[in-house]
Amino acid sequence: MEQKNRAYLFISLLLSLTFPSFVFALSSPLPDEIARRSQIALFYPGKDMKARIYMRLLSKDGKERIREMTMLRKNLQEGGEQRYYIYFYQPADVRDTTFMVYKYPKKDDDRWLFIPALNLVKRIAAADKNSSFVGSDFSYEDVSGRDIEDDSFELIKEELLGEADTYVLKAVPKDLRSANYGFKTSWIDKKSFLPIKEEYYDKRGALYKLFTAEEIKEIKNIPTIIKRTMKNLQTGQGTEAVFREIEYNVGLEDEIFTERFLKKPPEKWIK
Amino acid sequence: MKAGVRSQKSGARRKVWILNLLNSERMRALRGRLHPALPVEGATQAPINWYRHMDRRDQSNILVQWSINHPWTTIILILFITILFGTQLRNAKTDTDPKNMLPPASKVRVDNDQVETWFSLHKDTIVLGITNRGGIINRESLDRIATITDEILKLKGVAAQDIISLTTSDNLVTDDGSITMRPILSDVPKTRRKDSIDELEILKRSIMSNPLLVDRLISKDMTTTAIYVPLEDGANGREIAGEIMGIVNRIKGGGMERYYLAGDPIARDTFGHDMFLQMALFSPIAGIIMMIALYLMFRNLTMIVANMTVAIISIIWAMGFLIWSGFTVHIMSSMIPVFLMAISTDNIHIFNEFSYRIREVGEKGPAIRETMRAVGRAVILSDLTTAAGFASLAIGPIVPVKVFGLFVAFGTLVVLLMSFTLIPAILSLIDEKRFISAQKINGKEKDKDSLLHRMGDISLAKRGIILIVGLGLLLVSIAGIFQIRVNNNMISWFKPGSDIRVADSVMNDRLGGTSVAYIVAISNKSDMMKQPETLRKLQALEDEIKSAPYVGKTLSIVDLIRHMNLVIHDNDPKFNSIPGSPEIIGQYLFLMGMSSRPRELDTLVDYPFEKANIVVMLKSWDASAIDGVIDKVKVFENRNSNLSFKVMPAGIAYFNKVWNDEVLYGMISGFIASLLLVLALLALDFYSIRWGLIAFIPLIFTIIVIYGSVGWIGKDFDMPISVLSTLSLGLAIDFSIHLIRRFQQRFKETGDLEGSLVWVVGRPGKGIVKNAILFALGFSVMIFSSLTPYITVGVFMGAIMLLSALATLLFLPPIIYLWRRSLL
Repeated sequence: MEQKNRAYLFISLLLSLTFPSFVFALSSPLPDEIARRSQIALFYPGKDMKARIYMRLLSKDGKERIREMTMLRKNLQEGGEQRYYIYFYQPADVRDTTFMVYKYPKKDDDRWLFIPALNLVKRIAAADKNSSFVGSDFSYEDVSGRDIEDDSFELIKEELLGEADTYVLKAVPKDLRSANYGFKTSWIDKKSFLPIKEEYYDKRGALYKLFTAEEIKEIKNIPTIIKRTMKNLQTGQGTEAVFREIEYNVGLEDEIFTERFLKKPPEKWIK
Repeated sequence: MKAGVRSQKSGARRKVWILNLLNSERMRALRGRLHPALPVEGATQAPINWYRHMDRRDQSNILVQWSINHPWTTIILILFITILFGTQLRNAKTDTDPKNMLPPASKVRVDNDQVETWFSLHKDTIVLGITNRGGIINRESLDRIATITDEILKLKGVAAQDIISLTTSDNLVTDDGSITMRPILSDVPKTRRKDSIDELEILKRSIMSNPLLVDRLISKDMTTTAIYVPLEDGANGREIAGEIMGIVNRIKGGGMERYYLAGDPIARDTFGHDMFLQMALFSPIAGIIMMIALYLMFRNLTMIVANMTVAIISIIWAMGFLIWSGFTVHIMSSMIPVFLMAISTDNIHIFNEFSYRIREVGEKGPAIRETMRAVGRAVILSDLTTAAGFASLAIGPIVPVKVFGLFVAFGTLVVLLMSFTLIPAILSLIDEKRFISAQKINGKEKDKDSLLHRMGDISLAKRGIILIVGLGLLLVSIAGIFQIRVNNNMISWFKPGSDIRVADSVMNDRLGGTSVAYIVAISNKSDMMKQPETLRKLQALEDEIKSAPYVGKTLSIVDLIRHMNLVIHDNDPKFNSIPGSPEIIGQYLFLMGMSSRPRELDTLVDYPFEKANIVVMLKSWDASAIDGVIDKVKVFENRNSNLSFKVMPAGIAYFNKVWNDEVLYGMISGFIASLLLVLALLALDFYSIRWGLIAFIPLIFTIIVIYGSVGWIGKDFDMPISVLSTLSLGLAIDFSIHLIRRFQQRFKETGDLEGSLVWVVGRPGKGIVKNAILFALGFSVMIFSSLTPYITVGVFMGAIMLLSALATLLFLPPIIYLWRRSLL
């Protein structure tokens, strides 16, 4: 009798330990799959996209610098190669500056910058992906995505963040020197697969950057982050980016993404 | 410690003198003087009546009487209060940051905070220098530098995002018409040996062609690099330096590299840390040496215990009160115990007199009362004068100086209180028989008296020569005062050969310099710093600053823009200049924002481009280095009347200079006020301006000779020396008060001027000499300290003791003799 009881106890204990994780594993997609779908949702929606972006770079003592630009993006294939074209309106002294990126998975991007005051196009070689995007707290990776293969992912938990049901995904760079962060935790909306919040931890494990999707809207049925902020908690600086006049699938021509149009912005798209 | 020595000395002298006095027939005269209502004859013959009479008239004697009658109650009561104060010691917060010597609202602190906010600067930066005689740009060294940087990034307390090293800082180069902005060492060349040589050559060329890196991240001879590690607010520089050294030791392996840690936070926090350690090590040693000396003088353990107990109690009360009042223990208040130790030796006078008295009277009760009656007034006078002198340091504007002065004064009053309570109580517990027999053995050493007597003779016989020599010395010293070089260099507070000094000099040899100042250009219009005209002026200012001595490197937005201009134009040397249009400049600045470290740009220009920062690296922490820069700024301002910006200095080098100057001059002005007050008090003590002036001579002589020799030797006159010199307040006053009082009594008794003068040197002089030897001996151990300010304490203590004792014994008798007509 006693031995039987013990055996039951042991089995039920074992079950109670393994069962939830068993169910969990069955019902949730794999962490790499969540990361992939999130990347598509954030950086690849539509065949192409046009948006006007207003950025406010805020210093610790509340001083600000403004960046205003139109961004054109075209996917060559979903999750693969992309073209970006950016035209700057502000700050006033950089008006007419244009910037072009050929983004390749698993390979360094190609970048070109047109400096209007010198009427000069310069290639910007293989710069570090952790570089700041136009002096803001967003890095190039925050704007155009980081290769999924560069991180290993782990699904920590699923939780309700505000009204959104989210996957909480932890990303650790496979090569620590390839990223500024030691690891990153993302709250990814189960429906839209957009990150609602991301916490960046430095190599000591201290939280230093915080990404927040402040406002999400559906544009042509595509959930889109309209307003996002990146706050650097260690320096007190922060950047707020607001996307306006967002359009998807407008039919951007391939020829826009050439040096010729860097010097002479396409009037059809840039006003 | 210093203050303690001072008061101890004076107190001890007083007591010794008083004891000597009481011992003699002159004592009776003294009693008569102090209590004219009492018949002098009756004093010795019927001491008991006499004292009763006194008790009714003199509150201090009521205290003495009560303490003798209730010794245990007294001791327990005092111990109880001491425990109360002692519990406060647990709450002690130490603060070794010299910044807090000035209030947060002081202009230089407000300015510095402001500049740090404008340009996202960190208050403190540690510099790890790495050298390799064979050249630092090789695969092994670079690998280690990369690994060390990675590890430093993991340390708590460092501002990881702003570490500047070969692996984190951007290099801007042009290559085949494209430009590259990325960390200098984003990848250490990993290719096999044959290829890597070429890659290294390319790397070398690209680093050395960037003027922004040379002298900052790489030495001209390519043997030295540095990792600049900014600290988060409140991080401890010494501790982080220790962790960095731990990383270095783990990673250095058998490499050829040498590692050097420098930077203000290390010096400051190491000094703060070592200061308390050295204090804890040397104070007890000094105490023990003094106890041994005391034993040899009095052969009685109880006395020694009593003496040391008074010192400890006054320290506990003063420090407990200080902490209870909410003050932190900082560099200056940490000196309070030393000063109090010195001041508390006042009690030697009581013991000395008691040792004579008890042999005369044979009974401890009356002996104590008689002792206190004889010595009491001099003890009160000299302690009150000393306390008033220190309290008047509070007249100055510098808070730590005020705190120091007031709490030394408080401690002095505690010593005074103990002289009338605890000391009599302990003496009343003494075993009189053993004490008397011990004193008899001790009484044999009379020879010294004759030596001093002879000195007294000589001081009178050769008074002309002595006074002329003294006057000559005084004049030479006054000339020396004009040679004084005011300088505060915290690095020089460490011994030559210490890690910090070596690191500092190696880094200053090879790179731009470890001391950093900011020269900030402030306009009131946004985008002003994008105007070519403004940038040209900024460049002119920077060039002017570069011409100042000790300036090893400067960095400004102009350097960045010129380099960008050059690189954009494929290194065509024509374009190593400021571009002609604000648009080009604006677009360059925009491009720089695309680097991996836009924050490095932020350290040179503020957000709205209204203000620009010229970073100045100095090869010396001497005040003259920053003074040279400020002079050049003035030259620039005079030459350019129509500037679009104002210029403001800031940064640690400038801050160090300002706080040191303010504390030093605050100390000196407080000290001058003290001297005047003491002069007035001395005149009051003696009811005579002339006698006051005479009593003042040893003090002023000591100070002038000390300052003069500092000037002649060429030692920097810095904050520790200015603090130390106030010690002479307590010592010299004590000596002269005792000598003069004893002389006046003796002269009144005998009417023999010359005899009295010789006697006063021989007898009370013995107390002075004992006191001087005791202190010089005790504090001489500090010569072995590893911190130069403590060595200074050791040397100064001896010098002040010797000088004020000699000045008192040699100069006062001839001067009194010469002035006899107007004095007597």
